[in-house]
Amino acid sequence: MEAQSTAINYLPIIFQILVALGFAVGTMAVTHMIGPKRKTSDKLTPFEAGIKVVGNARQPFSVKYFLVAILFVLFDVEVIFMYPWAVNFRELGSTGMIEMFIFMGTLLLGFFYIIKKKALDWD
Amino acid sequence: MNALITISVLAVLVLYLGLYKANKALLPVTLLGLAVALFFTINHWNVFTGPTFNDMMSYDNFAVAFSGITITSTMLILLLSKGYFEKISDHVAEYYSIILFSLAGILVMVSYHNMTMLFIGIEIMSVSLYILAGIRKQDFASNEAALKYFLMGAFSTGFLLFGVALIYGAAHSFDLEAIKMHLETNLQTGQAISPLFYTGVVLMAVGMAFKVGAAPFHFWTPDVYEGSPSLITAFMSTVVKTAGFAAFLRLFATCFYPLHDFWMPVILVITIITLFAGNITALYQNNFKRMLAWSSISHAGYMLFAIVSLGSEASYGVFVYAIAYSAASIIAFAGLVLMQANTGSDSFDSFNGLGRKNPFLAFTLTVAMLSLAGIPLTAGFIGKFIMFSNALSSMHTWLVVLAVINAVISIFYYFRVIVAMYFKDAERAELEIPLNFKVVLAISVVATILIGIWPAFLPNVI
Amino acid sequence: MNLLSVLVFSPLVAGLIVLVLPASLQSRYKYVALAATILQVLLSVLVWVRFNPSLGGVNNEHTLQFAEKLSWIQLNVGGDSRLQIDYFLAIDGLSMPFLLLTSLVMFVAVLSSWEITTNLKGYFALFMLLDTAVMGVFTAMDFFLFYLFYELMLLPIYFLIGMWGGVKREYAAIKFFLYTLFGSVFMLLIMVGLYFSVQDPLTGDHTFNMVHMMNPANYVDGSLFAKFSGQLLLGIPARSLAFIVLFVAFAIKVPIVPLHTWLPDAHVEAPTPVSIVLAGILLKVGGYGVIRICYSIFPEAALGYAWWIGLIGVVSIIYGALNALAQRDLKRLVAYSSVSHMGFVLLGIASVTAEGISGAMMQMISHGFLSVMLFFLVGVIYTRVHDREIANFRGLSQLMPQYTFFIMVAFFASLGLPGFSAFIAEAFSLTGAFKSAGVNGLIPRWMALGGSVGILLSAAYLLWTLQRMFFGQLRLSGGEPWRLLLTDVTIREKIALVPLAAMALLLGILPGVVFTQINTSVLDLVKLVNP
Repeated sequence: MEAQSTAINYLPIIFQILVALGFAVGTMAVTHMIGPKRKTSDKLTPFEAGIKVVGNARQPFSVKYFLVAILFVLFDVEVIFMYPWAVNFRELGSTGMIEMFIFMGTLLLGFFYIIKKKALDWD
Repeated sequence: MNALITISVLAVLVLYLGLYKANKALLPVTLLGLAVALFFTINHWNVFTGPTFNDMMSYDNFAVAFSGITITSTMLILLLSKGYFEKISDHVAEYYSIILFSLAGILVMVSYHNMTMLFIGIEIMSVSLYILAGIRKQDFASNEAALKYFLMGAFSTGFLLFGVALIYGAAHSFDLEAIKMHLETNLQTGQAISPLFYTGVVLMAVGMAFKVGAAPFHFWTPDVYEGSPSLITAFMSTVVKTAGFAAFLRLFATCFYPLHDFWMPVILVITIITLFAGNITALYQNNFKRMLAWSSISHAGYMLFAIVSLGSEASYGVFVYAIAYSAASIIAFAGLVLMQANTGSDSFDSFNGLGRKNPFLAFTLTVAMLSLAGIPLTAGFIGKFIMFSNALSSMHTWLVVLAVINAVISIFYYFRVIVAMYFKDAERAELEIPLNFKVVLAISVVATILIGIWPAFLPNVI
Repeated sequence: MNLLSVLVFSPLVAGLIVLVLPASLQSRYKYVALAATILQVLLSVLVWVRFNPSLGGVNNEHTLQFAEKLSWIQLNVGGDSRLQIDYFLAIDGLSMPFLLLTSLVMFVAVLSSWEITTNLKGYFALFMLLDTAVMGVFTAMDFFLFYLFYELMLLPIYFLIGMWGGVKREYAAIKFFLYTLFGSVFMLLIMVGLYFSVQDPLTGDHTFNMVHMMNPANYVDGSLFAKFSGQLLLGIPARSLAFIVLFVAFAIKVPIVPLHTWLPDAHVEAPTPVSIVLAGILLKVGGYGVIRICYSIFPEAALGYAWWIGLIGVVSIIYGALNALAQRDLKRLVAYSSVSHMGFVLLGIASVTAEGISGAMMQMISHGFLSVMLFFLVGVIYTRVHDREIANFRGLSQLMPQYTFFIMVAFFASLGLPGFSAFIAEAFSLTGAFKSAGVNGLIPRWMALGGSVGILLSAAYLLWTLQRMFFGQLRLSGGEPWRLLLTDVTIREKIALVPLAAMALLLGILPGVVFTQINTSVLDLVKLVNP
């Protein structure tokens, strides 16, 4: 393997990206152009399981959705840190083990905190 | 290092204390914990052996000195907070722990030895501050402050990060020592330094100037400082600013030093604009808090002197200046908090006749204003004196002349407070000054005067 | 404990005593202050007696007297430089007379403070602080220490005018403050520049010691202010620029004519004791600074600009006198007469002759006593009826014979009647100015002539005022109530006035009392400036 990679080494990746983008954009453009267009009022209304549309979609909804979503992201992302640790588990040894326990402990403290704060209680 | 761990654990501890409704214990525990952290910090004086944590952090005397100031200032500000956050909402414990987290970020900022740690430190600090700026949820100004601060902060972080990335591209390292070595070897061997590096330095200067509120990247400062709760403003304008300058200085005076011919003019221009923008606008304020915000911009200009004049005296200069400025600002904000709590107003007129009714408060405020204006026998004078001497010794004569003109301009607005307190009479009730305020005021005033008369009592950072 | 330290800090102790005394003893504060000033007078008399007039001082550290030198601020600020600031007090013939002057003026000022009725604690504490600062300025031989005391004078005056002053006090106070500060911040820069240029010959550290600054050998080669380095600063030779900046800083205090406008405002708004201190001492700080610092440290620049300094002196003399002629407010008149009289100081100094400088010193001392007397006398009327428009009084001599006597003494002494101190002083200054053209060619003869015209003008405005206010039919704009209020001088006022009048007379008849004390130093100074 080469010690250093130069810009030319990335060329295949660029091709890959170009092809992927090209395929998506191309198919969308092509179907848009060659497909027949018949506009009826039924077709233009948003489809909502066959029920008539009621009101405006842009209205405030409970902040609890956000809260749950952000907490999910938070704890989910932490898992990312575990992958490199798991891969290097042997090299890191017991120090790594202890550090990971501290990390998980901190997470757990946070988790416990949000439960106690009733952040996950819906009512 | 121990201090950093102490503060981090303390923050979690305080959070849990709040969870178990031990609201009475919050402040004492926080202060106690900070005292322990301060003890660890001071203990670290002169025991520096080299960077630690895989060369991520370097707890040298510079770091110890600035950790010391920031922890002490935080303690003083928190002492003022007794009963303050309770009025805002029930989440008192959270506020304390966010402040502590922010302080943890600051400790990282003053002791980083790696660009990533700089970034992490700044982010830990900033994210906490975005929240703190907006803790008055019902207050429109507070919301505005938080949003503005967040947007501007994110923007400046972008600059900073881009700069770091470019420098990494050029120097192949995040390590300050390695980057410096890269510069030195390239300069010695006559190899060209990559243009990426120059761009990176400029971007980082812009990012840091944003963070410390130096013109022309200062426009967020007055609104944010005015909108945030006064105590948080006190924290931002003292502790955060000090930390920002420590980080700035560490980066430019050590790491980028070999390249100073390139970035010096940039910083010079920033310094001069900052001085004039801050001082001249402060002249036109009718509101004490806003005046303090603008004056803090002008003080950023004076602190930039350290970066301009470089040399090993520079860090001593910033150190003394930061202490002087923090002590005086804490007094000013303590006065402001008292005034707002009692009269609900923070215009200059609300200080009318204070000299007669509250001689102690008026005296401390006077000392603070004199110190900020740089009148001799106060710490502010010594700070300015060292800054000016350093700049003169590196032959920045014009800069110093301009700074001196600014120092005279600043007299006008600082003295407005004194004039209001002593020369204008008004029927007013005596302000009630709680004991904790008295303690903080007394400590700050004694420090200000003591440094003014006998500066040698401060340890030398170098 | 050194005598000078006691002299400098005893008022501060008195001020602290005033601060800690409970408010119930409010009426006693003035006695504390009075005791401190009396002690100070005694101490400065002791200094006067023990002073050895054969030692010159000026630029020779070994012949400075009562010296006290302690290391004060020693900071290792990294690199090769070490911040070395000494607590260095000493006097020579150029400063010694001012100690007695200051203590006497302070004594009179405290006596005239009887009229102050509000916030006595703050008043006397500030007053004592001011006393300390002034004493410090006259004794400090370390530039940094000098600067600290110099700035420290500003704050008490600012508050004293601002809190106890007249209607426009706020404006007058800030005007005074900014004028002086503007001069002194630039002085700070020159001071720092000097610091980096001068090395202590013993330790090799940079130093603020003024005596070292006076010796060209102590300058680092090629440094900013080294004598022959010829460095340019902002396009002007560095040493010339430094001289100009320092001169302007002190000249604002003197004051010289284009920069004098703070003085009438400050005087009119200030309460009587503050006016007394302003006129009696603070103006002399300016003259003293010019001699001690501008001339001694930058002698060659001083010679180069002698013509301009002489011109400024003459302009001040004549312009001040003409302004005094036009005033309707008695206190403003006295203020402008100060501008005029201080012009002689500059004229004398500019001549760089022994006569001229002796005359300038004498003029400062004499004006110190006389202007204090004048302001005190104005204060006497003002406290009684709160008015000092010249036109509102007429024929006061019938109502207040003793007062008229004192005012005649003060007026005649001021206009330079032989037998009074001002005559000697002005005669010497003018002699110096005349002689200069023949000896060193620094200032032309017409300047001396211009100065003489100033004496004529001062006779005009003083005699005219005397005639308008004190002679003729008794007529007061306040009518009968004023007639009852305008009682003659009291015992307390006499205690203050008699020593002043006596000093003016004594120095007029026996000027040798002062001249023998300062002569060696003056000669040394002349030799230093114009070798």
